[in-house]
Amino acid sequence: MEGTPAHRLYDAIKRVVGSYAFRVVVQGILTLWAVTTFTFVLIRQMPGNPIQIKIDQLMDQRQLSYDDALKSAAGLYDFDPDEPLIQQYVKYIGKLARGDLGKSILSAGTPVADQIRRYLPWTLFSVGSGLLISFTLGVLLGMSMAYWRGGLLDNTMTVVASIMYGVPDFVIALLLLLVAGVQLELFKVGDVLGGISQDVEAGFNVPYITSLVQHAGLPVLTYVWTTVGGWILTMKSSTISTLGEDYITVAKARGLPERRIVLAYVGRNAMLPLITRLAISIGFVVGGSVIIEFIFQYPGLGRLLYTAINGRDYTTMQGVFLVISAAVVVSNILADLVFGLLDPRVRVGGQK
Amino acid sequence: MSENKVVLSVRDLSVHYLTQRGALKAVSHASFDLHKGETLALMGESGCGKSTLNLALMRLLPGNARVPNGAIVYTRRDGSTIDVLKMNQDRLRRFRWSECAMVFQAALNSLNPVLRVRDMFYDTARAHGETNHHKVRRRALELFRKVRLDPERVFNAYPHELSGGMRQRVLIALGLLLDPQIVILDEPTTAVDILTQRTIIDVLLSIKDELNFSIIFISHDLSVAAEMADTVGTMYAGEIVELGPVNDMFYRPRHAYTLGLLEAIPRLSAGAEELTSIPGSPPDLVEPPSGCKFHIRCPFATDICAKETPPMEVVGDGHSAACWHADQVYARALQFTGAES
Amino acid sequence: MSQPLVELRHVDRSFKQGRVMIPVLQDINLTVAPNEILCLVGESGCGKTTTGKIIVGLLSQSAGDVLYQGRPVGEFRGKERSAYRRALQIVHQDPFASLNSAHTIGQILSYPLKRHKMVHSRAELRRRIWELLTLVDLTPPGDVVNKFPHQLSGGQRQRVSIARALTVEPKLIVADEAVSMVDVSIRVSLLKMMHRLRDQLNLAIVFITHDLALAKYFAWEGRIGVMYLGRMVELGPTPDVIVNPAHPYTRALISAIPEADPELTRRKERMILRSEDIPSLTEIPAGCAFHPRCPFFVPGLCDSRVPPLADAEGFRHQVACLPLTQGDALREYGDAFREEQS
Ligand SMILES: Nc1ncnc2c1ncn2[C@@H]1O[C@H](COP(=O)(O)OP(=O)(O)O)[C@@H](O)[C@H]1O
Ligand SMILES: Nc1ncnc2c1ncn2[C@@H]1O[C@H](COP(=O)(O)OP(=O)(O)O)[C@@H](O)[C@H]1O
Ligand SMILES: [Mg+2]
Ligand SMILES: [Mg+2]
Repeated sequence: MEGTPAHRLYDAIKRVVGSYAFRVVVQGILTLWAVTTFTFVLIRQMPGNPIQIKIDQLMDQRQLSYDDALKSAAGLYDFDPDEPLIQQYVKYIGKLARGDLGKSILSAGTPVADQIRRYLPWTLFSVGSGLLISFTLGVLLGMSMAYWRGGLLDNTMTVVASIMYGVPDFVIALLLLLVAGVQLELFKVGDVLGGISQDVEAGFNVPYITSLVQHAGLPVLTYVWTTVGGWILTMKSSTISTLGEDYITVAKARGLPERRIVLAYVGRNAMLPLITRLAISIGFVVGGSVIIEFIFQYPGLGRLLYTAINGRDYTTMQGVFLVISAAVVVSNILADLVFGLLDPRVRVGGQK
Repeated sequence: MSENKVVLSVRDLSVHYLTQRGALKAVSHASFDLHKGETLALMGESGCGKSTLNLALMRLLPGNARVPNGAIVYTRRDGSTIDVLKMNQDRLRRFRWSECAMVFQAALNSLNPVLRVRDMFYDTARAHGETNHHKVRRRALELFRKVRLDPERVFNAYPHELSGGMRQRVLIALGLLLDPQIVILDEPTTAVDILTQRTIIDVLLSIKDELNFSIIFISHDLSVAAEMADTVGTMYAGEIVELGPVNDMFYRPRHAYTLGLLEAIPRLSAGAEELTSIPGSPPDLVEPPSGCKFHIRCPFATDICAKETPPMEVVGDGHSAACWHADQVYARALQFTGAES
Repeated sequence: MSQPLVELRHVDRSFKQGRVMIPVLQDINLTVAPNEILCLVGESGCGKTTTGKIIVGLLSQSAGDVLYQGRPVGEFRGKERSAYRRALQIVHQDPFASLNSAHTIGQILSYPLKRHKMVHSRAELRRRIWELLTLVDLTPPGDVVNKFPHQLSGGQRQRVSIARALTVEPKLIVADEAVSMVDVSIRVSLLKMMHRLRDQLNLAIVFITHDLALAKYFAWEGRIGVMYLGRMVELGPTPDVIVNPAHPYTRALISAIPEADPELTRRKERMILRSEDIPSLTEIPAGCAFHPRCPFFVPGLCDSRVPPLADAEGFRHQVACLPLTQGDALREYGDAFREEQS
């Protein structure tokens, strides 16, 4: 009825603003902004200002006067401590918007972005494959246990999974290193620490890939070991409750083949509650596991964070936190979208 | 009405659930025949084994159920017979839904929430060898019209987009997709509103006239049974205690429990009325009482009722009852129904 | 008539859902006299429970007045307020949900007795609990007091809920679908008990149900109110409403109900509605909310004005239907309507 251009424009705007995707994206941006601001303020309020420490260092080591040291430190960090906080903040956000995360304090002069770019792939590879293995294994085992509930597999795995779920990751990591490596000498400890052996040529060749897998093996194993229990138990209980639903009985009554029931009726519904969990996990993949990467000397983002914290490298910390939160936010948005695809009941907006 | 051709013959069927306390005898020695085009209603209090009996007919019982004895003999359209309990898994799968379909209680949860209605139709058809989507679609839309649903809209909808009454009718349409000989309805109108219930009853009555299938109908609502059924069976504590034509069952019952149920329900048209409820509550099915299982709650009970199980005896044309005091019940029933009209 | 115990005057109630307000109740006018039986019937979602909760003061109204013994309930303070709260009790549908499963029946009953200082000694507490359990036919009480709710049958649990409502010696009990989850075979005994309690304790009972036959049986000596989409569409003495229903909606309900009498139910005349879909509360039709479904719909009248609950010629009770209640020009509709009745 109301077809004036102004009305149509208004309607269009209303539709976009009211839409689910728009809400999700705006929420994500707001979250990121909040995290950035929070870390910015927090770091500047912390005792032991990194600039101050550097200045002291410079004065100590190079016998500079305070003013000279200050100037050289400021140049190094691209940072003016005399500026009011609010101005610093505006500058920082402006830089961020251009993708500039500032320069590392510890390895002076290196842009944080470069560092992250160097360490991130390792973490993505190791924890990512760990998550993939863990999730797949958990879903398959959990579902089988629910199907043959009370059977041998179920009874043993329930106990095993609960134990695995309860033991912290660093204990597993140390046990692996000390028992399997040092005591039983199943492998040479030196061979598996780090990201890659020194002597192999980077590229798509067999020795490189072998070495890659060899080095990632223990971190991945540890990751899988500590997380698979949770997946198993969640999937099992979710499957059990799905199996009790009427629509499963009805599907059987309809004479559907077992395969179809398992996949589209049991599997799909039982997986729904796991999707949010998976998304959160994917977010944290990016952060890696600080302790595991430290123990295995694995050159991932977690270790970068560890060294940054130890060395009070605030710009790096800030950068890493930002990347981690961005990952969490993005994976949550993804989870919402995937969830909407998998579960029509939460599809908001009702386009059709 | 019924052409007297038996499509399903259940004999001496028992179902036990294994529980921690021992075998729970959910169904004991049930026997009945279902004729072509007949509607058989099973009524009784909740927990008396109605659903269990029906699940057993399609072999859909949960894992802890056992069938110690009985036969479920089904007559195909070509006249050949087969015992459902003796089918192998593959034949059983093909038997289900194509010969015998089932509509569950209120159907709120009978449709997979993540699939569209049409996918459930395609799934069902494909499982029974029909892969032509056009054909399935045509048939589905035709059925939707018969059950008074907006065909296009419902076909493409997700279950949560439909109201309870609509879902119930979707399930009825889905049940008729493969043109089965028997449709089992488990409390199809429980928990729906009066007008929705009326729609469902009307739809069932008209579509049954048209397609001439047989119905097994479970309900604890006697009035729905009175309206829909040709034959009514009363179940108590896992046993069918009385079975007969609907008018005989409602006007000339021979089992104390049937009479008890009739005397306990209010009737809208009856004005001020005197009702009596059945005292006590249903017995434990793990250790059921001796003799007639109803004797503890029965106003007619005498010594023999506690000692000996009454046999199922023919008391009229197609009417049988297992009650030691069938005659007294009958006399009292005549008073009751007589006083009412 | 004596002063009503509770009175609702032009009561509205809406709930916020997301960004929209949903009008769940609109312009409800109702009185409950002492010792009266009033039944509220209607399909699920029509606002029966909300009305019940407003009557006992568990929910507040969005607009309009709620009076207790002639005074607005907002006025009550202190002692008066607790006396008012005690006088009105509600019993819910699901006794499982409303009884704490970790407590014995004795504990469940003693808690309100102690809190409201209804008893002053242990002996008195025990005597009162015994008395209450006897009142609700849970005899001998000694067998029940130490049991937990899950050890009782559904009917017995509902008796405990009623006994708990009686601990504070109320003047009115709202029974919200109180027997809907109880098996048909034992429903009647619960209803009879409630009748007896009403006589014995001089209680008023507001009985909420979606089952008209049950309402008829329970409230034969009282009144029935029929609700549709948040409004009262018909209100009057039970025999009148059931035997001589006025509102097309009530008639539709009554004609739709199957009867436990094969011959009768198959002969029964059915009213065919123009639409089977119940509109949602977010899009209540203009005018009479029932008009899109009503076979007696008068275009231009029914869809333009909300019919008030008013006396109708030829009926001894009130109905909210314009063609029936007013306008000489439209008398014929009412007449046709009544003719069809007989
Ligand atoms: N899976 C099960 N395991 C153990 N007992 C069950 C199971 N299912 C049902 N029962 C018991 O079997 C009896 C009959 O149940 P059911 O067939 O559902 O009765 P109805 O449909 O008449 O209400 C009840 O006592 C119930 O508690
Ligand atoms: N607390 C609440 N918040 C939002 N909506 C409510 C709330 N309580 C009831 N409603 C809505 O009010 C309407 C009437 O509810 P109710 O009074 O429970 O109806 P009835 O008891 O007749 O089934 C329903 O649509 C229900 O969804
Ligand atoms: Mg059942
Ligand atoms: Mg309610």
